[in-house]
Amino acid sequence: MALLQIAEPGLSPQPHQRRLAVGIDLGTTNSLVAAVRSGRTAPLPDASGRVILPSAVRYLADDIEVGHAAVAAAASDPFNSIISVKRLMGRGLADVKQLGQQLPYRFVGGDSQMPFIDTVQGAKSPVEVSADILRVLRQRAEATLGGELVGAVITVPAYFDDAQRQATKDAARLAGLNVLRLLNEPTAAAVAYGLDKGAEGVIAVYDLGGGTFDISILRLSRGVFEVMATGGDSALGGDDFDHAIAGWIIAQAGLSADLDPGTQRRLLQSACAAKEALSNAESVTVSHGEWSGELTRAQFDALIEPMIARSLKSCRRAVRDAGIELDEVEAVVMVGGSTRVPRVRAAVGELFGRTPLTNIDPDEVVAIGAAIQADTLAGNKQGEELLLLDVIPLSLGLETMGGLMEKVIARNTTIPVARGQDFTTYKDGQTAMMIHVLQGERELVSDCRSLARFELRGIPPMVAGAAKIRVTFQVDADGLLNVAARELGSGVEASIQVKPSYGLSDEEIARMLQDSFAHAGDDKYARALREQQVEAERLLEAVQAALAVDGERLLDADERIAIDHEMQELRERAAGSDTAAIEQQVRRLSQVTDAFAARRMNDSVKTALSGRRLNEIEE
Amino acid sequence: MSTCHFALFDLQPAFVLDLEQLAVRYRELARETHPDRFADAPAREQRQALERAAQLNDAYQTLKSPSRRALYLLGLRGDTLPLEATVQDPEFLLRQMMLREELEELQDSADLAGVAAFKRRLKAAQAELEGDFAACWDQPGERERAERLMRRMQFLDKLAFEVRELEERLDD
Repeated sequence: MALLQIAEPGLSPQPHQRRLAVGIDLGTTNSLVAAVRSGRTAPLPDASGRVILPSAVRYLADDIEVGHAAVAAAASDPFNSIISVKRLMGRGLADVKQLGQQLPYRFVGGDSQMPFIDTVQGAKSPVEVSADILRVLRQRAEATLGGELVGAVITVPAYFDDAQRQATKDAARLAGLNVLRLLNEPTAAAVAYGLDKGAEGVIAVYDLGGGTFDISILRLSRGVFEVMATGGDSALGGDDFDHAIAGWIIAQAGLSADLDPGTQRRLLQSACAAKEALSNAESVTVSHGEWSGELTRAQFDALIEPMIARSLKSCRRAVRDAGIELDEVEAVVMVGGSTRVPRVRAAVGELFGRTPLTNIDPDEVVAIGAAIQADTLAGNKQGEELLLLDVIPLSLGLETMGGLMEKVIARNTTIPVARGQDFTTYKDGQTAMMIHVLQGERELVSDCRSLARFELRGIPPMVAGAAKIRVTFQVDADGLLNVAARELGSGVEASIQVKPSYGLSDEEIARMLQDSFAHAGDDKYARALREQQVEAERLLEAVQAALAVDGERLLDADERIAIDHEMQELRERAAGSDTAAIEQQVRRLSQVTDAFAARRMNDSVKTALSGRRLNEIEE
Repeated sequence: MSTCHFALFDLQPAFVLDLEQLAVRYRELARETHPDRFADAPAREQRQALERAAQLNDAYQTLKSPSRRALYLLGLRGDTLPLEATVQDPEFLLRQMMLREELEELQDSADLAGVAAFKRRLKAAQAELEGDFAACWDQPGERERAERLMRRMQFLDKLAFEVRELEERLDD
């Protein structure tokens, strides 16, 4: 019931206080927040009833727009409207140069190697942009659930490396969210399906989102989800389908490939609309300016075939990594809006030899799974047994002599994991050693991602090969790495919480935290909303009580219908997060009940006055 | 010092293991030790949980793989053996070289059916080695033979890995 959901903590008529926790799917194109309420898990809607928040942020001179408004402005204000920022998370300037051809932003450097996007509000890092999205979701959740969150489970692609995970955690911190767990998206989807169906056996989760592709092979067994293997492509998604169609339009319409950012955006928007229409129609008319043409589903299928083939190759590799054969996969779960494309469904079905599961909305399934896990981690489900055994997606290792990568922990190892490897000095009298931490599958250091460098100093001088240095890697349940080095003879130690090379510098974090204080106004907004919701509840209860006593006696049928209608409207608005709308409806309900209140007042005055003389009541 | 991997699972050191049962026991133990259980606990308990869970994962990975289990068992019964060692086993090495040549030919001809048949033969060879090792590893006087069998298992593991890489290349 709406009234129970908007009760302030403490005012709640329920004796047992739930610890509020949410699941957040921070997607490339869209983001969602979901929660378990009264045993049901569902995404939380905004005031207009929409559950999807487009992952778009527009910076205005003195305001920030997040979501639909920012998407709408993308074509007219491309430099200040940031979309698909997830593709930039944890990436260095060099990485984004390649992506930069698809993204019209003006990049500037910062203290760290992280790329900053130049906007009217100054340089914004991808972490800050993500934090602005997360902040809106946090406020929506706090308003809807009526209290502060103890924390959130935020999903990341299984294929995210350490730098990208760390960037996501930084964004959450900036948004004032306590991260209970970073959860791999496919695992979250499996949680959503697994609990609903009580499935056992090996399942594959095929997740094709806006900008990333993930494939995971999981074993489900009595409430334990064991990740056997993950793979994918962190630069493959539905956006690429849009680009393929846009490229087709450019070729068909004979446009120059060198388009201004605004035109590029409009082109991509028509491409995206065409793609969506082709999920149901056999062909669609596409127009751009003067030009218009017909795109059939068969043509579209041909355009995206190379991308689908790439995804299927990753599937076969993940199945091999899991040490099983394709026919041992008992169920295939589809996640991500791009799995609505019929050709994608058909191709995946053919590969695994079975029809993929699509009965949970592919846009919502990840957030729903994250919410279930958040509820468990917040301690609301004592008895319920749900455990996730995840793996690291990429091998971790160290640079050794000759620029080679020595793997310390292989990819697809179950986390948490700790592993040590011994090294020695190579020169007589060597007193320091450089530890270079790497991530990747390739042999050469230059082909792997550099995560961190640190130095172990103070090794007692010895002949070469006499010192014994143990380097320990420890990966926690979030997939984040700690590295420590220790000279076993002398006990000299050095360690590092791996700060990815593409993470934020301390100065940058400090500045952003300062900035977030500037957003304290947003938190005030959340409080105003809760106050208005409490006011709505108070009024609803008062009217309800009055109706119970005098409704029959003092109101005619039409008046009663009008009041019931306005009460219902207020209940609905109070469940949302639009403060102004609730306030407005509180006023309307007061107005509608004014006459009723006046009649009750007169009535009680009459009763009180009857049998008294005028001078007795004048004071 | 860390607990013996077998003791962690309430098992006596043995080569023949019921892997299904091991998996069930692993999940039970993982439930008890996983850091998710301690999401709210003080930092020190969280760290301990992390270490216990990491140790459990390590033990499970070791026991699950026949060659790693064999290496670990021999280490329990005598001196800890290095992970890798130079092997004096000419007859076996010769067979290995022939198998590798065969694999290269399969790559050149992109023969997927041939790869599948090769995999089946490899699995059979692995099963045979495991049987031989199980019969001798704890027999007095058979130590040298057990070590040789264990190194052969490692070789076949590497070969299996190469087959997988070949499959990957043929997938292009």
